[in-house]
Amino acid sequence: MSYLEYRVRFIPAGARKILHVNWALVILLTAVASVGFLMLTSVAGGDVSRWAEPHMVRFAAGLVLMLVIGLVPIWFWRSVSGLAYVCALGLLIMVEFFGTVGMGAQRWIDLGFIQFQPSEMMKIALVMSLAAYYDWLPLSSVSRPQWVLVPLVLILIPAAIIFRQPDLGTTVLLVAGSGIVMFCAGVSWWYFLGVIGAAAGMVFTVFLSRGTDWQILQDYQYRRISIFLDPSSDPLGAGYHITQSKIALGSGGWAGKGFMQGTQSRLNFLPEKHTDFIFTTLAEEFGFVGGFSLLLLYGLIIFVCVLSALGNKNRFGALLTLGVSATLFLHVLVNISMVVGLAPVVGVPLPLVSYGGSVLLVLMVAFGLVQSAHVYRWRN
Amino acid sequence: MTRVPLRPLARILAARQTGENPDKIERANLAARHEAGRDGQRERVEGRLLALALVFLAAFATVGAKMAVVATSEPVEPKAAASSTQIVAARADITDRNGRILATNLSTHSVYAQPQHLINPDIAARKLAQIFPDLDEQRLYQRFTGPKKFLWIRRRISPEQRDAVQNIGEPGLLFGPREMRLYPNGRLAAHVLGGVSFGREGVSAAELVGVAGIERAMDDELRDPGRGDVPLALSLDLTVQAAVEHVLEGGMKVMNAKGAVAVLMDARNGEILSLVSLPDFDPNDRPPHFAKGKPSESPIFNRAVQGVYELGSTFKVFAAAQGLDEQLVARDTLIDTKGPLKWGRYSISDFRDYGPNLSVEDVVVKSSNVGTARIAIMIGEERQREFLERLGLLAPVPLELVEVRTARPLVPKNWSGIHTITVSYGHGISVSPVHLAAAYASILNGGVKVLPTLVKGAEATGERVVSAETSRQMREILRQVVTRGTARQGEVPGYHVAGKTGTADKPKPGGGYHDDKVIATFASVFPADDPRYVLVVALDEPVETSGREPRRTAGWTAVPVAAEIIRRAAPILGLAPDIESRGRQGVKLAQF
Repeated sequence: MSYLEYRVRFIPAGARKILHVNWALVILLTAVASVGFLMLTSVAGGDVSRWAEPHMVRFAAGLVLMLVIGLVPIWFWRSVSGLAYVCALGLLIMVEFFGTVGMGAQRWIDLGFIQFQPSEMMKIALVMSLAAYYDWLPLSSVSRPQWVLVPLVLILIPAAIIFRQPDLGTTVLLVAGSGIVMFCAGVSWWYFLGVIGAAAGMVFTVFLSRGTDWQILQDYQYRRISIFLDPSSDPLGAGYHITQSKIALGSGGWAGKGFMQGTQSRLNFLPEKHTDFIFTTLAEEFGFVGGFSLLLLYGLIIFVCVLSALGNKNRFGALLTLGVSATLFLHVLVNISMVVGLAPVVGVPLPLVSYGGSVLLVLMVAFGLVQSAHVYRWRN
Repeated sequence: MTRVPLRPLARILAARQTGENPDKIERANLAARHEAGRDGQRERVEGRLLALALVFLAAFATVGAKMAVVATSEPVEPKAAASSTQIVAARADITDRNGRILATNLSTHSVYAQPQHLINPDIAARKLAQIFPDLDEQRLYQRFTGPKKFLWIRRRISPEQRDAVQNIGEPGLLFGPREMRLYPNGRLAAHVLGGVSFGREGVSAAELVGVAGIERAMDDELRDPGRGDVPLALSLDLTVQAAVEHVLEGGMKVMNAKGAVAVLMDARNGEILSLVSLPDFDPNDRPPHFAKGKPSESPIFNRAVQGVYELGSTFKVFAAAQGLDEQLVARDTLIDTKGPLKWGRYSISDFRDYGPNLSVEDVVVKSSNVGTARIAIMIGEERQREFLERLGLLAPVPLELVEVRTARPLVPKNWSGIHTITVSYGHGISVSPVHLAAAYASILNGGVKVLPTLVKGAEATGERVVSAETSRQMREILRQVVTRGTARQGEVPGYHVAGKTGTADKPKPGGGYHDDKVIATFASVFPADDPRYVLVVALDEPVETSGREPRRTAGWTAVPVAAEIIRRAAPILGLAPDIESRGRQGVKLAQF
């Protein structure tokens, strides 16, 4: 069909597909999940069954799911990406009306056997549909305003819903991740500069609105931001998370206190110690060396993904891979930034390490898609 | 970019001539063009990815660097700032040196109302007014039916009152636990303890914040949640404090004084065993801050610390001790005491004429202003000042009471010749009784400086202010003040009291001095041969009226009160009276 056709070397089929799975990625993911296993054991005070075991069971299930998805041809996933987007959007709207309120926000949907957050699902569905869109769109039209508008609408509808839940962290991650996909697809620089300018303006407006009757954010969100700017102003109240995690990091020092020796995180000084703030435990027990090694592991995953995308003849597959790695990157960046005090506290888990079912599962599905793109990387 | 035509005419024609298929040329050109386009696209994509990779790398590097910074930082537990939302009601107990409770916490309840949950506001208001007679039923009812969602009714209630309110059976009347500070000994040591009040209040707790005395000065320590159940042990001895307070109160009445101070200090380490300032107050029901009248006459005014007075002749000890220590004079050096002493336009004279000269010993024993002035002139202003500074008389006293911060001694602004003279006999310089006690302890305990303290476990500084020999000589001289000098009523059999009196005219507000209002002071140390305790007693405007004429001098007022305190307190302190050595004086040992 196209000029590239003659270059197609090999389209794996049957059992041979197993060989073409990106095994480096599988090993790296398992390594990060094992870090999670160790940390969850530690925060439970050595009790494996509390969080570590379910985490590992879910990871194993996710690994199988990833391989299954990975062996399904990438063009199948391209054809269902629109459907995935519609489904996720439908669930998001449903959660508005029927969702359960968990921890002050309406984010969860209860399917009886499992509770999950459609906003997590949306992260993947959006990346998929954007990749499919830019795969379909001729390269010459990418920067035309009318063709930029379409993905903007695709992004802003779910972003608005999630923002209203309210879940500032996920909204920011969703928008930023999609932006990276658009950037990789080749949308003109000017749009990004425009958006960054607009965002700066919006932040200004948001702060301007504080205390007026058209206040945009919730009070707690303002408080979190101002406390982020000065955590010591409220060390026992809303600044508690940040201050305690900084203490934990500081007491970890360079080499840490040793496995299961962290007092700050284990003695219940830290709320959310097994979810959003699990990095503190790592940093306390294994110190800077441990924390930085985890950062390197994540960096390696992203590197492997980018390599795979570069070698991918398939535009959908490449964009999807980049989008997934961008999402992973943003999660890691925001989570660790928040823990070390570079970003305000927003509820963003540390991928593969934090305890949490739906996040882990969605992430494994996403890496399944990356695997599929990798296995079928030779075909357009 | 110039596009290469897919079918360049010249080449097509040439190909046709050689019989080749011209389509081949077109296909090759097409492939080349595609290749070029693809390369361009790839370059662009790679450029974008490179930019992205740089951003990713920079972000991770920033996070990593910050991680390193935090990892190297010292983990510091933040102190609760004023804005913290958690109210910690815990407050450590305060005990005396033997572990007897001086201040503790009592769990009581507060009662408050949530009017929107009241079923019968009228009945509730009526019954509450019956339980708490000072509440007005009408006003309560108005408040209950008003717009407020929360009302305090009482901050502290007794268990009986709690039962009674409970029995009203109103769901809108609720109780919250509330810690209350209790001083089980009432007025005892009131000025030391100070008092607390409620800080930030919540329904479930209220902060107890120190407002005065040691409760305020050591507020952080007392409220430290990490302290646990460890009480704060003071240096005070409850029994001694009670005895001193009792005697001083009686003495103040007998001497018609309007205020009185007693400070009893361990001469060896500066621990204050008893500190009394009269009039006093009950810290359980602390009077409002300086309600009316002069602040310095309010019961909450701590005369022992906040009161800085010209303490008169008690200061002669410092001039004498310095003169002896610097070997400017010896005990028996004769000092010219011919009065009056002229200095510029000032003229210094004595209470009575002591003749042409007195020995240094007698200058102190008989309390000669002129003689002391002559010693001070020998010493000189510079060294006098330096000596008083070393004794801690020129700076606020380092005591664990919040009041000391505002109680700075009043010293001459430009310390010149005439000030050297007046300061030497205790005028023109105002210090607190605690200052005086600490300075006496430092000179008389063997010459080692002590810092006054109210917390148990003090140690001597080891810093020497005078030699041991000077100290011994000063004790002997001061002993003679009691045996044959101005403080003869201070003799307590068996305890070898040594000390110095001081009667200072009170300054008038506008300048000059009253001639019928004095501060009478007796600063003493006992036993003189083995100095253990320093006692300073000061009476404000005492008048002793048993004689034909009213007597105001310390020898007739402060000294007998001090003697009575020593008589009562010394046995409690565990000092055995040394009657033997005195009795032996009249006995001749038989020699064989």
